[in-house]
Amino acid sequence: MVDSSAFGKALEMLPYFLNVLGVGALTTVGLTLAAFVVAAVLGFCLALMRLSRHRTLGFLASCYLEIFRNIPILTQLFILYFGLTYIGITLPAVGAAIIGFGLNGAAILSEVFRSSIKTIDKGQAEAAYSIGMTRSMAMRIIVLPQAFKISIPGMANFAIGLLKDTSLASAAAVPEMTFKAKMLVSETYQTNLIYFLLAIIYLALSLFIAYWASRTERRLKVVKEN
Amino acid sequence: MGYGELWDATHVELLAAALATLQMAIGALVIGLIVGLVLALARRSSSAPLRRAASIYIEVFRGTPALVQLFIIYFSLTAVGIEFSSFVAAIIGLGLNAAAYLAEIYRAGLEAVPKGQMEAAKAIGMPRVQVMRWVVLPQAIRIVLAPIGNVAISLLKDTSVASLIAAPDLMLRAQDLSAVYFMPLETYILVGAMYFALCFPLSLGVRLLERKGKR
Repeated sequence: MVDSSAFGKALEMLPYFLNVLGVGALTTVGLTLAAFVVAAVLGFCLALMRLSRHRTLGFLASCYLEIFRNIPILTQLFILYFGLTYIGITLPAVGAAIIGFGLNGAAILSEVFRSSIKTIDKGQAEAAYSIGMTRSMAMRIIVLPQAFKISIPGMANFAIGLLKDTSLASAAAVPEMTFKAKMLVSETYQTNLIYFLLAIIYLALSLFIAYWASRTERRLKVVKEN
Repeated sequence: MGYGELWDATHVELLAAALATLQMAIGALVIGLIVGLVLALARRSSSAPLRRAASIYIEVFRGTPALVQLFIIYFSLTAVGIEFSSFVAAIIGLGLNAAAYLAEIYRAGLEAVPKGQMEAAKAIGMPRVQVMRWVVLPQAIRIVLAPIGNVAISLLKDTSVASLIAAPDLMLRAQDLSAVYFMPLETYILVGAMYFALCFPLSLGVRLLERKGKR
């Protein structure tokens, strides 16, 4: 089975592994953050489109949602990656991944935003209209700040899913953490140790997002009670 | 060469691969449903170590990418002498991954049945098994059906990840074929449409169940 000298040798390489994976982790976090921003902006627009009174806008947003939610993200990434090259745009792989995860995430986040906005009691918006606020004012001042708080757990879940999904970018040669791990494996053949380290770093990052979200949620609640 | 010709040239292989994708998703769902149930029961058990073990399992599998789980199951276990085909490794990996999500769904379903009902059933002399069989489960199943449908859709999409450990699914076949015909964009759009054709009816079904549940 596992002989001890081989294990000792693997341990000697541990600092090197952690170093390489750490650099990859920075790319993973950066990719996650960038894609989150794209997804949040676009997802918010989609949520407003679905809530709007214009039927056509709502229908277009629904079509977008159905397409992006019923096709695997890996397929979407490949379509985008090859599609952009096809029409003559050569983006670096990282750029294609940010756009791909952003477009896909927008479909998920728009549902989070929409359901959060819908949970705010209609009476609040009506009260705002009755004191003379316009529709957009009521939305901005009354509804959205409350909906934002409600959407935090949903956003955190999405962020954790996104963090994990960025591992798929390794298939498009984005130098993120999983890609680095694969390089390390083919370089040193320390398969077990490298993939376990990789899993532990992902787990730590996921738990950090979950912790940070619940802390932010608690803080915002205290403000509300004051 | 347009989409029509590409489809004519590749549809036999693509449909066979779609079947493999379906088999993979169904196999993983079965494993997930069984392991998930065990996990959900473990989380409700009176033994603290059992509860903690189930919680750790769920945290670990939900906190790490399915791709990394597949790498560990496929490559690491092979390195210590346990060998699977990539197809079997994918079914096991995706199944164990889905189990973590399904366990939470089961738990929510069981918790949604008010305790008073169980107590009432016990008060009229029903044994524990019968309380489960006649009072709790019929209601819990109705609650968990839609979320389980969502897991099934995710699984169907996640089988594409298995192509990265070279499991012979739709996505792997797409990669092969795009190398053969030099039409990567068209091939992936075609395969995307096939995934859509598989997932969209399921999505509609889940939405129907959700609407029924709300009434």
